[in-house]
Amino acid sequence: MHELVEFAVEKALELGASYAEARFEEKNGTSLAMKNGNPEGLEVISDRGIGVRILVDGGMGFASTNVLTKESVAEAVKKAVKLAKAASKVRNEPIRFSNEDFHEVYYEVKMRKDFRDVSVEEKLELLKKVEEDVLEAGAQTPMRFLRYSDQIWHKIFMNSEGALVESVIPRVSMMYNLVVSENGQMEQAPFVQRAFSGGLELIEKDEPWKWAVKDVLALQRLIREGRKPPEGKVDVVISPEVAGIAVHESVGHPYEADRIFGREAAQAGESFVKPEMLGERIGSEVVTVIEDPTIPNSWGFYLYDDEGVKARPRYLIKDGIITEFLTNREYAAKLGQRSNASARAINYNREPIVRMANTYLAPGDYSFDELIEDIKLGIYMVSFNEWNIDDRRYQQRYIGREAYLIENGEIKHPVRRPILEITTKALWSSVDAVGKEVEYFPGTCGKGEPGQGVPVWMGGAPARLRGIPLRRP
Amino acid sequence: MFDVNEFILKKAKELGFGDVVVLGYEMDRRQVRFANNEITVAKNWHERKVELFVELDKRIAGTSITELSEENIERTLKALLSTLKNMAPKEDYYGIAEGPFEYRDIPETFDKAIVELDEPNEYVERAINAALEERAKRVAGVLYTDHNRIYLTTSNGVEAFDEGTGIEISVRAFIGDLESGHGTNSVRILKKFDPESAGRKAGEIAKMAQNPEQGPEGKFDVIFDPLAFANLLSYMSFMTSAYAAEAGFSFLAGKLGQKVANEDVTIKDVGNMPNAYGTRKFDDEGVPTRETTIIENGTFKTFLLNTSLAKKYGTETTANAGLAMPHAWNILLEPGDYTKEDLFSEVKKGIYITNVWYTRFQNYVTGDFSTIPRDGIFLVENGELKPIRNIRVSDNFQRILENISALGKDIHHIHWWEVRTPVFTPYVVVKDVGITRATK
Repeated sequence: MHELVEFAVEKALELGASYAEARFEEKNGTSLAMKNGNPEGLEVISDRGIGVRILVDGGMGFASTNVLTKESVAEAVKKAVKLAKAASKVRNEPIRFSNEDFHEVYYEVKMRKDFRDVSVEEKLELLKKVEEDVLEAGAQTPMRFLRYSDQIWHKIFMNSEGALVESVIPRVSMMYNLVVSENGQMEQAPFVQRAFSGGLELIEKDEPWKWAVKDVLALQRLIREGRKPPEGKVDVVISPEVAGIAVHESVGHPYEADRIFGREAAQAGESFVKPEMLGERIGSEVVTVIEDPTIPNSWGFYLYDDEGVKARPRYLIKDGIITEFLTNREYAAKLGQRSNASARAINYNREPIVRMANTYLAPGDYSFDELIEDIKLGIYMVSFNEWNIDDRRYQQRYIGREAYLIENGEIKHPVRRPILEITTKALWSSVDAVGKEVEYFPGTCGKGEPGQGVPVWMGGAPARLRGIPLRRP
Repeated sequence: MFDVNEFILKKAKELGFGDVVVLGYEMDRRQVRFANNEITVAKNWHERKVELFVELDKRIAGTSITELSEENIERTLKALLSTLKNMAPKEDYYGIAEGPFEYRDIPETFDKAIVELDEPNEYVERAINAALEERAKRVAGVLYTDHNRIYLTTSNGVEAFDEGTGIEISVRAFIGDLESGHGTNSVRILKKFDPESAGRKAGEIAKMAQNPEQGPEGKFDVIFDPLAFANLLSYMSFMTSAYAAEAGFSFLAGKLGQKVANEDVTIKDVGNMPNAYGTRKFDDEGVPTRETTIIENGTFKTFLLNTSLAKKYGTETTANAGLAMPHAWNILLEPGDYTKEDLFSEVKKGIYITNVWYTRFQNYVTGDFSTIPRDGIFLVENGELKPIRNIRVSDNFQRILENISALGKDIHHIHWWEVRTPVFTPYVVVKDVGITRATK
């Protein structure tokens, strides 16, 4: 396949491209679902193709094909060149890429238990285990939807500036939607996912069935014992899971440089952050947010991005100050910087765009007990359901699924649907203490047109927010 | 591609599979993305693939095959067979539709002019210019052209072909950071394409939205622009699938025959609508698509079904297969009799929401959700519009449907990044909608 990728790059240069890259991607795997105890069938994923992206006269063209012949690839290259030329005529200034160091490199994530060697029956057993443990937990769960999926992602990336990056990354995940019903009330843990880059041993070690049982019992207790959350100004302790969604939505997204410069304006939106805000304070001194694709076995793992640039941890906020944006080569050039390797594409048929990988709130030095010990009245939000944020990433809302009252330094009864509806600056300025223990939670980050759901981890340490006017339903 | 289909079917039957569905696609899609009044990237996709569904003694599996050599096809089928033999059966599987069927051509779904269109950039420039003429400073968006061919062969006697085209544009216009508007236009034949209308609407709303003030919170009568209401209906379309109801993702679960909306509300899925982006001649089992009334005068009449789910519930398919998951083609909210002017004068004090995004659920089975208005938002008071910002719609799907109090008489076709299932909807007035804003 290397030959075809190289052929695409050479063909593009021959046809007048000033820059060319080609990316072969192959995904192979299986997916199994179980609905209310019934196996829903097997899906075999087998997908491959080549995408080419080129610059001609400062215009950008992209074309892909899944017919892997020289003729078809040449045709795609021709189309990309033609599209780029035509696009260059509707531009105010030519697109330029930052200068980068490129490598010829191969890397892979090893599996201790290779899921390709595991039978479908054994994978189905994992779903059955969730099903059985949930049913035995002692709560009424009338709707149960479970999914297992594994995939090997094999990529070969080459560009006209000397990059040749080949990678093999296995990804494995389980997901559940569980509805708990009691006394005519229904509570729900929807789209809860456990996911890793690596082998099946990671799922087995993580024991998703235990997470599912914990969720079901928490929802049952919420129905039985849940009370209204307190009103007025209170303190809020957010768990690593809630901290994760908050850093993803209100730090990661608005720091994406393509969004800052308006390229995503019609779809995923813009940003309240402007280029001149680098160095400005956005949160309290205890807030540091890191974006790191290189965390071993993470769901958002990669070592080189889809422009061939070597990845590293990125400090988006350091001690409350905006320190770095997420960039690809196009927007690094606009900022006069080098790319920090945030270009990702979900498949061969998508262009690489600026994306997150694993975003987390860096740990502080508080134990959990220390976080809550001096709270007179507050809540602890463990998990969330509904969440959203405006397209400039400033006004957001997170509703607690599992949440508890904190009274005089102690965790008390569950509270129903506490609503944290807050601006980004208020949120990060309210944090006065961060815990020691970091945890990560998987998600699928949506962006791009056509859509590109990419695997990410979100997480961090728990954090304490002071004086929040909490809303209740 | 029927030769490939037939080869797959023949080999699958030889191997002993029961139900077999072979759905071949040839797709040519072009995209032009633009932002800051310039083209950011232009793309072309060419894909050829076969979606394959097989059944063996109630064990089911699906895959897609893109490498269509005979060797690869046989290898794939054999791999599916050996895997399925050891799998537990899906006890509530009841088969696929019995063909053959007769199909009618659906008007305004194919246009050679779109296939032969050399270069769509002039449409982009027309949309940008229309927005700029309304005093927009920055215009962003996306244009697509589509040409699709579908070849369906099933083990139950179906052999069907459909060829369709489309062209669509979505335009967002900005005057300042907080002042924006959005317009879309989606059609299946070139001569009906009107990119200027999308650009002009985006620009007009942005112009009206200048200098917004912080919006209020509480309960308000809300006028939903078709773009905004289409978002809610598109999310609801998923919840009308019987699959979603079984899996715990629908507030309609258990409500067949019950009143779930105001009696003026009739919502349909129309798979065979002329000039609609989701229209196809047949579903994935070959059943001719049709019109299905989901909610009639406020009463919930049916979930969307395929043959297997229909048999499970003792009824007929609604021609919405998806073999695993039935889904809507084009959702249509029947119009009312209000002109746009009457509708605005009907609301003495309320809010006009021109667009929403990021609709998310607190609880799918109860329908509690919130969504965020984006682009122009306006306080409506005695016919006057005053721009506001930073509010959120926080309510319940069923309550929204029950509180619909007026429907416009013109319906608009909406399909864009946030509205994946195409929707036809008029302007809609909903009483007492929950509006919240950030507390800090």
